Amino acid sequence: MNIGFDTSQMLHGAVLTVELAAGGVGVSLVLGALGGLARSRGPRWLRWLIVGYVELVRGLPQILQLFILYFGLTQFGINLSPFTAGFIWMCFYGTGYAIEIFRAGISGVHPGQLEASTALGLSRFQSFRRVVLPQAVARMVPPLTTFVILELKNTTLLYIIGVPEIMYHANLLASNSQPLNIYLIAVGFYLVMNMTLGRLGAYVEHKMSWAKS
Amino acid sequence: MFAGILTLWGQYFGNFLGGLGISLEITVAGLAFALVAGAGFAALRLARFRVLRLIGTAYVEVVRATPMLLVLYIMYFGLGQVGIKLPAYWAAVIALGTFYAAQFTEIFRGGIQSVDRGQREAADALGLSRWQRLRKVVLPQAVMTILLPSTNALADIIKDSSLVITIGLSDLMARTYEATSATFEPMDMFLLAGVMYLVVYLLLSRVLGRLELNVQRRHG
Repeated sequence: MNIGFDTSQMLHGAVLTVELAAGGVGVSLVLGALGGLARSRGPRWLRWLIVGYVELVRGLPQILQLFILYFGLTQFGINLSPFTAGFIWMCFYGTGYAIEIFRAGISGVHPGQLEASTALGLSRFQSFRRVVLPQAVARMVPPLTTFVILELKNTTLLYIIGVPEIMYHANLLASNSQPLNIYLIAVGFYLVMNMTLGRLGAYVEHKMSWAKS
Repeated sequence: MFAGILTLWGQYFGNFLGGLGISLEITVAGLAFALVAGAGFAALRLARFRVLRLIGTAYVEVVRATPMLLVLYIMYFGLGQVGIKLPAYWAAVIALGTFYAAQFTEIFRGGIQSVDRGQREAADALGLSRWQRLRKVVLPQAVMTILLPSTNALADIIKDSSLVITIGLSDLMARTYEATSATFEPMDMFLLAGVMYLVVYLLLSRVLGRLELNVQRRHG
């Protein structure tokens, strides 16, 4: 079908969007798991530090966080490329969210579960791996799905500093003609990606339902 | 070095405060739009007819999958294609309203559905009309479930209002960006804006948190 413009560039943008989101989510999950653990089990000063970090991530507009990394740091002679600044921000922001998800997931498992499994003769590691972790993960699936979709949508902000993801290409096309059609195609891209993620999350949640307490 | 920052901050504080005023104005207008539209779409999602429910669900699914920036660009640049040219201010308000209406639809629906079925059945048994049942029985019990996520949504609207920098409105974020290129001290300017956004955020979460506690005491 000829719709009067070439959307293949948007497809390239979509690939970059997915790559950025996947990378950001990957790094954020690792750092978030460590942060979440430190937030619930770590020393006092570390806990306060993490609380402050999470509040900063949640209290400041996303654009401001991104601009601080991209423009703000130049004041100290640190010049990041749009891609680097954008990716670091995706990880910075994502980690703040992931920390809260892991903290809630871990503290949501009743302490009696750990006591019961130790009473059954399981080692500390075994109880954590076989009893606490599955229940925590089952609990975390819905918020994690929301989180992955959030990170995917966050990639649009990187267009503002010039990262060529979907929005960037949509805008290039839209400045020529038929902006509404172009933007609606962009909506279609996000809809397909996010609905796929939503279904995937529901499937994993269903598979993990054995671990729900 | 500190004196330098403080002089700079003092110089720009008034300007930034004006910008914050515009941010808050857009936020409040967007919130009002989102609340009204959200209530409407929640009514659709809970309607008796399948078609209406489907419309409500489709709206929520599509809008929630779309990034806020894209919604803003559709309102400001996209609608021009069909002859609708909104001023930047109204494009921003309508975009925030449209986007957050989907969040409020789910917040309202979740709140109403959290009320036990038996309450509704008891109201019916007492001969209350549909409207009386909603106003006197269901809503008072749904308030608590609705209030907390609503506060979070409001905080999100304030933060997302900063996106209007991309369509040329002179909000706090836009004025900060202008100041960075005027002073060549970007970090100092971003810090001042950060402090201002953070104060609003903390005030909001603390003040509304207290309000919620009061409501909880009265209803709990």
